[in-house]
Amino acid sequence: MLSLTNVTRRFGTNVAVENCTIEIPAGQMVGIIGKSGAGKSTLLRMINRLIDPSEGTIAYGDIEVSTIKGAALRLWQRDCAMIFQQFNLVPRLDVLTNVLLGRLNHRSTALSILGLFTQEERASAILALEQLDITKTALQKAGTLSGGQQQRVAIARALMQRPKVILADEPIASLDPRNAQIVMDSLRAINQRDGLTVVTNLHTLDTARTYCQRIVGMQNGRIVFDGSPDDLTTDIAREIYGAEGLKEAFSETMTSTSLPAAPATAPDKSASNEPVKSRAGEVAKRMTDAQLVT
Amino acid sequence: MVELDAGAMLRTQETERHYRQLLGQRRLYSVLIIIGLLVAASASLWFANETNAGKFFDRIPYFFDFFKDLAPRDGWEIWRALFDLPSPYDDGSLQYNYPVGRVYLIGPVYLPEYFYKMIETLNIAIVATMFGTALGFVFSFFAATNVNSNRAVRFVVRRFLEILRAFPEIVVAGFFLVVFSLGPIPAIMAVAIHTVGAIGKLYFEVVENADMKADEGLRAVGANKVSRVWFGIVPQVMPNFMSYALLRFEINVRASTIIGAVGGGGIGEQLRLAISRGHEAKTLAIVLLLFTTIVAVDQLSAYIRKRLVGEQAFALQGALA
Repeated sequence: MLSLTNVTRRFGTNVAVENCTIEIPAGQMVGIIGKSGAGKSTLLRMINRLIDPSEGTIAYGDIEVSTIKGAALRLWQRDCAMIFQQFNLVPRLDVLTNVLLGRLNHRSTALSILGLFTQEERASAILALEQLDITKTALQKAGTLSGGQQQRVAIARALMQRPKVILADEPIASLDPRNAQIVMDSLRAINQRDGLTVVTNLHTLDTARTYCQRIVGMQNGRIVFDGSPDDLTTDIAREIYGAEGLKEAFSETMTSTSLPAAPATAPDKSASNEPVKSRAGEVAKRMTDAQLVT
Repeated sequence: MVELDAGAMLRTQETERHYRQLLGQRRLYSVLIIIGLLVAASASLWFANETNAGKFFDRIPYFFDFFKDLAPRDGWEIWRALFDLPSPYDDGSLQYNYPVGRVYLIGPVYLPEYFYKMIETLNIAIVATMFGTALGFVFSFFAATNVNSNRAVRFVVRRFLEILRAFPEIVVAGFFLVVFSLGPIPAIMAVAIHTVGAIGKLYFEVVENADMKADEGLRAVGANKVSRVWFGIVPQVMPNFMSYALLRFEINVRASTIIGAVGGGGIGEQLRLAISRGHEAKTLAIVLLLFTTIVAVDQLSAYIRKRLVGEQAFALQGALA
């Protein structure tokens, strides 16, 4: 159980996250939605302690996450993997090494620096790549991969940490619809198959509705909605995004997963993605209008 | 044309007037600065001429005397001096004793003296660059804001690097020559120390420009500082580091030559002796050898650097795609 109690974060005089209290039971898949600047990213980063909270407590079981330091903090970060919008891989290292870097907290620094990973570690890294269907890229430099492939490498690295929680900060915001769907499907699979808690920031409503059991809405740093996808009515969505923002939340097809033309099978180079994107955009816009009318 | 009302008209005129005023001011400053620079330049030249032992225009007719003295007795003498071949002018003096300097390797196979000395100089440069780069590499991470958040340590390391590069190699060499006596050891130490200071600064600037996304990713993995630097930053900065190390090697070849001239061994010492003794063939042979070596080193290092940076540009493109 991950529990945040009265968590606040200030940057100077600016309050990014204000007095947030939330409990996430193990094994839940939670989507956090809200406008840009609503404090979603800051909230997630505080859970992984990339940012320290100004006030309040974060706890996981009996670990006091918000106050630990040094080795204990690094152990928590190992247990609480993070996936980023910009993937945050090491572009100049090959994919397999990038995935193996997920093990860094499990082993001695000297051995890591000498590049001495065990056969088991390599095997499980390849297995993780296999699960995400990108084994054939294993020896390429990570920087030469497409966005969707890179994000899957990042997920494979997260899995190598053997985490208890996976946090995903806008994991599909830089991806085209088809890759976005592959990535979201992977996250859902991890949640359902391995029973990991997944907390993900999402830009768009439809993705959150499709994939998450529970949706948390944020506005100006505060949690304004917490419930099941069915509870999230258009009125509440309008409140979270604002009247104009609601349209935006649907029509940002770059981050939408709801309308890919083809089922997600194998990754492919982005040549064919252009028409898919614009078609998805059209349909999404029509859908938004329809929703607003009703 | 757009129809303007009276207010807009007035604002436009006002802006125009302001613009002209600024333009005039800028021109005035430019003229003043140019006049100032001209005055400063002519004053400096006058002062330099006044403090010189001989006056510039009095001495200019002697400009080519040095080159006249350098002319060897015949053109082949330069090659004989370079490859330690016997000279027909050999009269037992130091001036024409070329074969004496031969360094025999196996049987009759020998290395000409100046080639041997050139290798000695290159060796000084190579060893100094290796040690200097290795130490500069370590210090650079302690001096970089994005790696070391401890302000005091950063301050100390940066000032330390500044001190190391503040003194020219030749001054440091002069000090070590007294301690360790003549030869390449003090030369290596002097060049290496300067290299640490110079490379350390260049390196930490490269580190500070590194993209920290990879580092953040590894921080979220729970990796410690050493792992984060090694896997997150080093792969990114390596091409630049190598390029700077090669550039430094070029500079160090010249520096070790100069240090040789003050007693640090190598080709520089031979050059100084040849010039001061008036051995024209030897001087020209050394100058030729030096010139060829430096051009070769520069070309080689430029070639490697181009390949490294080219590769990096390619990787960057991949990251953006």
